Amino acid sequence: MSFFRRTRLFIILIGFIVLVAFIGFSLRDRDDLTTAEEFLKDSVGWLQGIVHRPAQFTSNIFSNIDDIKNTYEENQLLKQRLAENKSLLYEIQELKQDNEELRSILEKAESISDYEPIQASVRSQSPEPFFKEVTINKGKQDGVRANMAVITGEGMIGKIQSAAEFSSTVQLLRGFDGSNRISVTVSQEDKEDEAGFIIGYDEEKEALMLKLNSYDSEIEDGALVVSSGMGGVFPRGLEIGTIEEVTPDKYGLTQMAYVTPAADVDSMDHVIVVNLLADQQEEGEE
Amino acid sequence: MKRFYLPLFLLFFLIIEGVAQDFLPNSLVTGQWMVVAHWVLIYLVLISVFYDLEYTYLSVMYGIVFGLMIDVVYTSVLGVYMFIYPLVVYAVHGMKKMLHTNFFVALLLTVIAVGLADTGVYIVYSFIGITGISWQEFLYIRLIPTLLANLIFFLLIYPLTKRKLVEWSKERFSNSNNL
Repeated sequence: MSFFRRTRLFIILIGFIVLVAFIGFSLRDRDDLTTAEEFLKDSVGWLQGIVHRPAQFTSNIFSNIDDIKNTYEENQLLKQRLAENKSLLYEIQELKQDNEELRSILEKAESISDYEPIQASVRSQSPEPFFKEVTINKGKQDGVRANMAVITGEGMIGKIQSAAEFSSTVQLLRGFDGSNRISVTVSQEDKEDEAGFIIGYDEEKEALMLKLNSYDSEIEDGALVVSSGMGGVFPRGLEIGTIEEVTPDKYGLTQMAYVTPAADVDSMDHVIVVNLLADQQEEGEE
Repeated sequence: MKRFYLPLFLLFFLIIEGVAQDFLPNSLVTGQWMVVAHWVLIYLVLISVFYDLEYTYLSVMYGIVFGLMIDVVYTSVLGVYMFIYPLVVYAVHGMKKMLHTNFFVALLLTVIAVGLADTGVYIVYSFIGITGISWQEFLYIRLIPTLLANLIFFLLIYPLTKRKLVEWSKERFSNSNNL
């Protein structure tokens, strides 16, 4: 009996050592997943795709019924917007032409705001809420790489955490911490733009924390926050959110702003992975 | 052929866990509650109570394999579920010997298993700095809603699986004795 007790203790100890070893292995900065992990993720992802389709079909029926209820009001609103958009469209065309001409003068074809979109749809969400991750159905084969930005039509939702061959994992903005900063600009109509970094997510306020570079900036609530393209990971001009409030930080040296994310992370089906073109060219030249 | 049913069911629950967000109403998933689906664990507990004999540890083995799979597929830290699921299922296996196997015992063991596993996961994750929420927050935001949600799942799954598990267990282990 004592022998069995001892082996039991022994096995639990070995299990504990394995636990520590595995955690140590996965917590260090890994660029790539191991082949076994990729295989498992891909095959489970494939099965999830099969299950996902009928599930989505039924949930779509209910949301469609919801949509029909509000159709009339939405239609009125959209008609109004359409008229406004027409004049905007003209303006944008002018600006685009201008921009192209100026770029050709500078002989600089690639800009950091150019990107190639990779369309993908969301397959599953991690059942473990401590990890703010979702899985999408495009992987390395489609050109997805780690650290690419992921957006929806409304704005940025996260970045690629890791890519397997046919699926990849997206870390949502909610799960960002100090180790993945985004450099952003706060654009305002009548004042100068302000630069800063997104340094994490505040769970209580449900807003992103934006550390501003200057300590005396005047920012109105509701100002638009877009990525600035500095740092070379994310392209310029991805909408991130709007300023909710600006406060001085702990030490009073800089200012901290809280940003409400523009995209609704919880009800998205289709996303776009942003493949930065300027970055790719550099790789090609090497 | 029948011995492949168990891993297939476990795989099915593993897949469904990730897709479940689409079935469930949005207010439940996105609110301030953190509801974790421990469906694989519940099925493991049912296996350990109704399928495993006193000297077989199939549920613990499956716990290791499917714990690791949950780690790989759904989290970016390996080893946590792989360690905690088999440990909890082993404890359940031990407790089962002292109690009669009936509905209320299975219910009790499920609640204990989900509670232990969720607390264990929280302890490990807060230890390595994945999460920073306090014990109180964990208790109210995560543990209690998780227990309730998984209880509902248990009540749904129990009548569907119990008889089959007992049946398969009888077939399998009486055959192996003959051989």
